[in-house]
Amino acid sequence: MASTTTRRPGLPRRARSEEGDAEQTPVEPYRLTPKVARRVALLGALVLIGFAALLGRLWALQVLAGTHYAARAQANQLRTVRVAAPRGLIVDRSRNVLVTNKAVTSVELWPSGLPKVYARRVAELRALAHITRVNVRQVTRLILERRRAGDMLDPVVVRATAPGPMLTYLEERAGDFPGLTLARSFVRRYPHGALAAQLLGYVAQISQQRSGVEAQYDAYLRGVAGSARVRVDSLGRPRSDRTLTTQPQPGQTVRLTIDTGLQLAAQNALQYGIQLAHNNHQWAADGGAIVALNPQDGSILALASSPTYDPAVFTGRVTEHKLAAQGLTPKSALDRNYPSLDRALDGLYPPGSTFKPLTAIAALQEHLVKPYAFYPCTGTYVAPEDLAHRVWHNWDPNVNQGMDLPTALAQSCDTYFYRVGNTFFDLPSDRGQPEQRWARAFGFGQASGTDMGLMQAGLLPTIGWRHRTYTRASDSCCWQVDRLWKPGDSIQLAIGQGDLLVTPLQMARFYAAIANGGKLVTPHDLLDVENPNGTIVPTTAPAAPRPIPGLDPAYLKVVQQGLFEGTHDTFGTSYGVFGNFPVSIAGKTGTAQKIVTLAGYKGEQDQSWWCGYGPANDPKTPPQLVVCAVIENGGEGGTAAAPAAERVFAKFFNVPATQTGFIHSD
Amino acid sequence: MLEYAGSQRAGLRAEREAPGLLSIVRSLDWILLLGIAGLVVVGLWGVAGVTKFAIPNDPSYYLNRQILYACVGGVVLVAAALVDPDLYRRYWRAIFIGTAVVIAGVLLIGHAARGSTRWISLGFFTFQPSEFGKLLFVLALAGMLAERQRIVGAWATTLRVVGLGLVPVVLVFAQPDLGTALVYLAALGAILFVAGVPWRHLAVLGGAVVFIAVGVLWAGPAAGVSVLKSYQQQRLTCFTHPSTCSVAARYNVEQSITTVGSGQTLGRGLNGATQVNLGFLPESQTDFVFAGFAEQRGFVGAALLLGLYLLVLWRGLRVITVARDLFSAVVAGGIVVALLFQIFVNVGMTMGIAPITGIPLPFVSVGGSSLIANLAAMGVLLAICARGRVSRYSRRR
Repeated sequence: MASTTTRRPGLPRRARSEEGDAEQTPVEPYRLTPKVARRVALLGALVLIGFAALLGRLWALQVLAGTHYAARAQANQLRTVRVAAPRGLIVDRSRNVLVTNKAVTSVELWPSGLPKVYARRVAELRALAHITRVNVRQVTRLILERRRAGDMLDPVVVRATAPGPMLTYLEERAGDFPGLTLARSFVRRYPHGALAAQLLGYVAQISQQRSGVEAQYDAYLRGVAGSARVRVDSLGRPRSDRTLTTQPQPGQTVRLTIDTGLQLAAQNALQYGIQLAHNNHQWAADGGAIVALNPQDGSILALASSPTYDPAVFTGRVTEHKLAAQGLTPKSALDRNYPSLDRALDGLYPPGSTFKPLTAIAALQEHLVKPYAFYPCTGTYVAPEDLAHRVWHNWDPNVNQGMDLPTALAQSCDTYFYRVGNTFFDLPSDRGQPEQRWARAFGFGQASGTDMGLMQAGLLPTIGWRHRTYTRASDSCCWQVDRLWKPGDSIQLAIGQGDLLVTPLQMARFYAAIANGGKLVTPHDLLDVENPNGTIVPTTAPAAPRPIPGLDPAYLKVVQQGLFEGTHDTFGTSYGVFGNFPVSIAGKTGTAQKIVTLAGYKGEQDQSWWCGYGPANDPKTPPQLVVCAVIENGGEGGTAAAPAAERVFAKFFNVPATQTGFIHSD
Repeated sequence: MLEYAGSQRAGLRAEREAPGLLSIVRSLDWILLLGIAGLVVVGLWGVAGVTKFAIPNDPSYYLNRQILYACVGGVVLVAAALVDPDLYRRYWRAIFIGTAVVIAGVLLIGHAARGSTRWISLGFFTFQPSEFGKLLFVLALAGMLAERQRIVGAWATTLRVVGLGLVPVVLVFAQPDLGTALVYLAALGAILFVAGVPWRHLAVLGGAVVFIAVGVLWAGPAAGVSVLKSYQQQRLTCFTHPSTCSVAARYNVEQSITTVGSGQTLGRGLNGATQVNLGFLPESQTDFVFAGFAEQRGFVGAALLLGLYLLVLWRGLRVITVARDLFSAVVAGGIVVALLFQIFVNVGMTMGIAPITGIPLPFVSVGGSSLIANLAAMGVLLAICARGRVSRYSRRR
């Protein structure tokens, strides 16, 4: 072996020299020996076996089981995806559209389509965020959420509504943004802008948060999502247009009891009332609410709350900046006096003198006063048993006359009702707390039981409530005194002051019961729900007006008379407003002191109230409309709330608003 | 064992009486050449299909490159067919050392892709030496055997060839490229087999292979020594025990089987081949190109391809029998068995009857090195056949 390697360089030459001999002597050539032939045959057999296996397997897969695998390949690439249904319309009672949809093009991003290289992915997201003017961190957060949810088939909405030039730019450069799609979708449109914004609520497209009617009737409005098939690649990216397998069913139309014209009038009236308050140097007046109710069935015709906001801020991309401009962030809400608060449902105010009709009803029912007996109405009142001689003042100090109950209501005599309140306090304990009982019967201290979702229950102070509220833990210094129900509590409750808190809707409900002869209505805003083809969808009807048990219609008549005199008697507190109104209106002013903390306005401010109904005392037509208006910090009820309410009546009865005369009111 | 005595002389005489170009061309195996040409054409047809949607808006990007490689490979084939194979025998040492150095160099300066270093970048072309190594090592080892043909039955010869042959196997395995290392091993076995190494030796070597395989696959991991990368290990155990394999690990082979099956008899066509076009088939241009081809062209197309392979292998085996000397016979055997091994493992892997290893499908997978190297090997095969026929003819005369 060693010799072979050492001789290597010389080998060819030597071989060649041997070759000369070989030519003479016949050399046995390389021959195909049987052994080699056998081995080649073995290799051939190996080839044949291998190919038999391959071809057999190929035949089995493609020809025998081909249809099975073809179905599997088909299933591989088809995904069923959800197709959102357009949201239903919200219309008013005459089918004027309040909320509709508008088609927009949104910029969406498939997370799986983004570049795999980190630097390139970040660069694309930055560029896209810059073009669409979106915060890049918001986009990355959405993508992360999607990835964590394991959702590959729904794109992330970068920007819900993209303006035309932006779309053109992105369309032209689609190649630079892998994963980008421009999708058609729907967003909410508000033809009347801020009309009934708090009532209608909003639905935020991206976060799907809802409020108001949008939340309350979401089940009707939502519709039924359809499904579509889409071809996807192995990464789940769609590679074809969607083919609908189930048609999405558009949401149903929700028809509200709201009257657009009256709603607009109410909102304008609110601004008018605030303006009047400003004219009277009530500079702190900056908000309020008006409720307009059908007293016969409780359907809400208008529900205005001021200040308000533009709900269109929630369509498309919701940004902190845009929300702050509308006062919808916690900080800006304080500056703008809480525009998102629906004061008609959730605003809590002391009712002041507008509560006196309840005291009157309760006193009559409990036989504490005689309706037409004269009781003194003086400038001040001191409870006879009060050893401290606390002096309670009338709003008008220059009065000293005997009054029957209607007159006391019409002129809103505080001292008359102080005396009634003291009588309530003096009742033996086995009589219970009749004023609170009657207040509860008229719906105070509880949510109004409407279909409008959660609302404030208000506060109806009782002996038990004082006991529960003032404890050693909550009021360490004075709980032993504060927990007692004292004469002052009954006296203040009689004129709607003290701890009592009500919402404008509760007041409207109460006045509706006075107007319709003692039936407690359920305020509601849903008239019906209609399918897109016009057929009515069965819904649960609101509870029918229910007579208040034990209420004597004769006593109610006395109160009705008092309210009528309040607007028609020359000494009535809102005679200056409604005295010459073409339709006879009955109502009551209120001026409720409320301790407020506003910038520059510390201490007590007068909440201007007016509640009433019409037509009153009309033998042919029962009352058709109850209006309750409150102007926050608006001063006397007759000067701000009553003229505002008059505008609503004027619109409803289609008569011109009268010139406001001299007002002498609380 | 001494059946080959004198063959070297015959070869040497043939060298002196260099046959004319005309006689070489006249004695070419035209059927083999036709089979190769058919494979190249079908391969390009397949590439045109599976790469149609690989690059957006440029359906013929890969096809154009592959046609260029096929042209280069054609030139190489003609050149190899005209060169006397005896040249390789004389310079087998240089061939061996040169190839080993280049493959070792890949490990040092090579260009990595998917965790494996197999390529050397030449600027316009990334070149994969291990593909050419399949041919060059066969030539070198055959040259060594031819030198020792008188003592082919000796243990010393067998062990020397095996020892030398393991050098490239280890180098390629270290890249890591298990598939190509297995191809080298198959070629090595074929060389020994065709050279006439006694069955006794082959049995011992086979036993050793089984022993090592058991050690690497079971005993090694149990003892904490892992020779194979975890994914290689997983692929092999997935093949032997599919039920213990996770869904993710079986994803490739499941998709590949679905792809093959979905082609049915006539195929789904280029646009309907969702498995390829939507990316469900992994590595659809290289390792799993057969599945993509089978999906698009169906049983008819895939059977045509396998038939062409069978034709080439059959003619290749015939070349062994007409070789004019031991060296030529051994080279032909090595080339044919390496080709068979690659075809079987690659096609079998796409249909789930062979473990998944990164072996390209000869003549079809996208890749210049593989195509050119395979055409060069076919050229050598043609040269052996032609020279063998010429020498027989002259001898007969």
